[in-house]
Amino acid sequence: MLGRILLVGRIAVRDLRRRRIETALLLLALTAATTTLTLGLVLRDAAGDPYQSTREATGGPDVVAGVDRHAKLSDLEELAGAPGVIDHGGPYPVTPAKLQASGRTSDVQAVGRDATPASVDQPKLIQGDWVSDGGVVVEAAFAKALDVRVGDPVTLDGRSFEVVGVAVTAAMPPYPGGTCIVAVGCASGATPEVLAKLPPGLLQNPGLVWLTQADVRRLAPDPGSLAYVMNLKLADPDEARAFVDAHSSEGLAAPRLESWENILEGVTELARDARILLMIGAWLLGLLAVASVSVLVGGRMADQTKRVGLLKAAGGTPGLVAAVLLAEYVLVAVVAAAAGLAAGSLIAPLLTGFGAGLIGGTGTPSMTMSTVGSVTAVAVGVAVVATVVPALRAARSSTVDALAGSPRPPRRTGWLIVISARLPVPLLLALRVVARRPRRVVLGVVSIAITVSGIYVALVLNAFLTAQPLAAGVDDAQAELLRQALLAVMVILFSLAAVNAIFITWATALDNRHSSALARALGATPGEVSAALAAAQVLPALAGAIVGAFPGGFVLFHAINAITGGDSDRATLPPLWQLLALVLATVLVVAALTAVPAYLGGHRPVTETLRAELA
Amino acid sequence: MQQEVVLAMLAKEPSYGYQLRARLREALGPLGEGMNAGHVYVTLTRLEKAGLLAVERSAGGADRSDRKVYVLTPSGQQRVAEWIAEVSWPRPDLAEFHLKLIAAAAAGLADPLTIVDAQRRELLRRLRDAQRAAMAEPDRSDAALLLEGVVLRLQADLRWLEACEKSWTHRRSGS
Amino acid sequence: MSNAADVSVLRARGLRREYGKGEGLVRAVDGVDLDIGAGETVAVMGPSGCGKSTLLHLLGGLDRPSGGEVWLNGRRIDDLGEKALARMRRTDVGFVFQSFHLMEELTALENVELSALLAGRSPRAARRRAGDLLEQVGLADRARFLPSALSGGQRQRVAIARALSNEPLVVLADEPTGNLDSAAVLDVLQLFERLHESGQTLVIVTHDARIAATADRMISMRDGAFVDETRLSGGTTGQLGAFVGLED
Repeated sequence: MLGRILLVGRIAVRDLRRRRIETALLLLALTAATTTLTLGLVLRDAAGDPYQSTREATGGPDVVAGVDRHAKLSDLEELAGAPGVIDHGGPYPVTPAKLQASGRTSDVQAVGRDATPASVDQPKLIQGDWVSDGGVVVEAAFAKALDVRVGDPVTLDGRSFEVVGVAVTAAMPPYPGGTCIVAVGCASGATPEVLAKLPPGLLQNPGLVWLTQADVRRLAPDPGSLAYVMNLKLADPDEARAFVDAHSSEGLAAPRLESWENILEGVTELARDARILLMIGAWLLGLLAVASVSVLVGGRMADQTKRVGLLKAAGGTPGLVAAVLLAEYVLVAVVAAAAGLAAGSLIAPLLTGFGAGLIGGTGTPSMTMSTVGSVTAVAVGVAVVATVVPALRAARSSTVDALAGSPRPPRRTGWLIVISARLPVPLLLALRVVARRPRRVVLGVVSIAITVSGIYVALVLNAFLTAQPLAAGVDDAQAELLRQALLAVMVILFSLAAVNAIFITWATALDNRHSSALARALGATPGEVSAALAAAQVLPALAGAIVGAFPGGFVLFHAINAITGGDSDRATLPPLWQLLALVLATVLVVAALTAVPAYLGGHRPVTETLRAELA
Repeated sequence: MQQEVVLAMLAKEPSYGYQLRARLREALGPLGEGMNAGHVYVTLTRLEKAGLLAVERSAGGADRSDRKVYVLTPSGQQRVAEWIAEVSWPRPDLAEFHLKLIAAAAAGLADPLTIVDAQRRELLRRLRDAQRAAMAEPDRSDAALLLEGVVLRLQADLRWLEACEKSWTHRRSGS
Repeated sequence: MSNAADVSVLRARGLRREYGKGEGLVRAVDGVDLDIGAGETVAVMGPSGCGKSTLLHLLGGLDRPSGGEVWLNGRRIDDLGEKALARMRRTDVGFVFQSFHLMEELTALENVELSALLAGRSPRAARRRAGDLLEQVGLADRARFLPSALSGGQRQRVAIARALSNEPLVVLADEPTGNLDSAAVLDVLQLFERLHESGQTLVIVTHDARIAATADRMISMRDGAFVDETRLSGGTTGQLGAFVGLED
């Protein structure tokens, strides 16, 4: 048994080394997919860790409770005495305000805190000192977004303050994801159109600042308008959700309760968006990789038939033959998985630099066993899916045929041949090229359709992120980051699709070497043959682009929304002209990519090819 | 033609001379056209003298010279049986042509390749004739099979000429 | 050296084709003069590697000479561009190859009509012509068969029908019987005889003496040059009997 495994491995490795370029392409295609997948999986955990450290450093609350009027303060005090609560901070008064800093204005929720440190939720200062009268401490992510530093003068509702500190907290997700704790209510993540319809006075994407309690009370028009928050510490933090459920009640005036897990979800929302983006990208790349691998494998099988014949003649069972063929690709897949994991973990920190609102937010995300397992499984899966059919076919083929080295005979698609007879010569030849290898054409169409639907979604997301980053729940810097993630995925997607297009054309040109030479001997011009080879790629590309743009991209976008629970109404779909331009550009790019192989395929010396056929 | 051939053609049944000739013609097709009628009768007479066949006068009919029916004698039958079992085979005399080339080259009488070319021309003409004759024959006729043999024989000779050509070309360029 | 008819359909002067450079220089065709008259059948014979296939490719405009001239029907073709050559091949030249070179996925009929379609004939006209030609080569009942379902001889007859598709000035055959058994050779020989009788100009490159023997003229080629030429047409030698020892 061991001997056989060694034999299979040795034959597989030798064969791979004999075909370096193909192996490299295969590796490239698979690595692109595994890298993206790794990024997606790593990012899932990326934001969770900084929140945990922030929670520890600030004595983060297990439950945050709030009431929106002074009269209900007693409810909060009741909660502080509830069973399971071992400590609490507050209640602290909260008031809405308008903050002006170096020409920029933003709504804020101002929380009045004691100058002395609290045991629960004492925001951790990154810069400067804690609150004092006339001194304001700004939440770190908000400070970064507004570009304010310690010492900067700001005004709150026209009153002058000085920024004395910048701090992080675990009681609320960083800007702009903050929860609403003021009485008037907030409109976070709303588009300007939506805001226009809302009652005036609502806070728009408010930031968080801390003042002294006295300053907050001074800002409030009357004491009755103040809202209050209280931070609770439970004996068992895991009981937070249960505590919230037990103490929540219907009714407008009832206290709002939020568990720390809820806050964590808010914190990780951005990471989730990026992760979904990358996961979708990984799926698209995975499908493309299946397409590339299929084309590569299909092309290789043609000249592997002879090797298979030799193996079988030497006594290899069909099982051994299939094992050798599978082993080759699984080997490549494992290497690609390793490369993808390495590349993914190197790139991930670049995409997780949104830690301004949390401690250690720029830390390196961890690589878990489950990530390694998933990535490897997917890579091997792709290789197996793409090879199993040709491998089985080769293994079952007749030994004699295989030894004769006769390549897979072309398919006959009768109706296409009949139709093509009515067309001009280049199209006539092109349709016959297409009819000869329908499976490869389908792969070409699928590959282009996947790419185009990916580009469609990228167009939508990019427009959305550019126009309304705050509505997406991210600030400018984060939007930029997401756009970079998007761009990275798209660049990989695009390169892979380009490699596919070139490779399919190349394989087609090689495959049609003989019939091209023959057509030319019968009087087709080199131009006509080149045009036919190119058209045989461009026509499927056109089909793929149309399928990818009109139903494909639309369906993909809505699928993403369904998965993420996003609100697709907020996004504007690309206008028709953009889609048409996308289709046109795809066709042009494919035409350009296929030009060289098609030209070479059409201008190969006829006599050499026809003579080689005899040998 | 060997006497035994004529003898063997009579083995089936006693026959008139004209029947015997018709049988030969059918088997030989166009190749039998040049066959001399007298030659057959001379052979028959020789065989009769050797006691290998006997002649019976036909009972009825006019008193024509070819109204003889030829019959194998027992010793004639034995001779036929021996002949059938023989494995002799006509030997084409290739040695003569081979020596012609060597002599011509050695004495500088002629270029061996010119001789080969001339010989090839001759053989090709014969091949052409045989082939034409073969194509004119109806399918599966006895004569067609014989003609195929002739064609194959000529092809073999032509291939040998090719080998001579190659060899003498090589000798010439080698020297 | 030519005793061709008055009108040369195909004419070559000082034709050369070389491959490689320096030490590795191969003169595949080395100074060939040739005149082929209308309706003539010419066989070019020679050992393999003597350059006869290359000569055929040069004559049909599939390959370009390193030197010399080729004239087809009074038009010089060795200096034509690829495109013009292709057009010329469409209408003026029919090729027959040793390994048939049929398209595996096309039926016999579709293979034959392909040439006509490439030449821009209407699908209907191309199909009708293909049907007629298949009938001429005795394969009307095999029109819808794929090449893989045909015997070697049948495939070559399809290929010959294809070569005739556009009524070419000249049919160029490269070892047309090289891959055939002797019964199939006879079929192809008969077909060439018929073509010959119908006045088709034929150039056959072969080392099969049988096919060469059907020609009006046989040219021997050695090391890229013509070394001998024989006119085979004209009366029979009348010596058939000599082969069977009837005259001793």
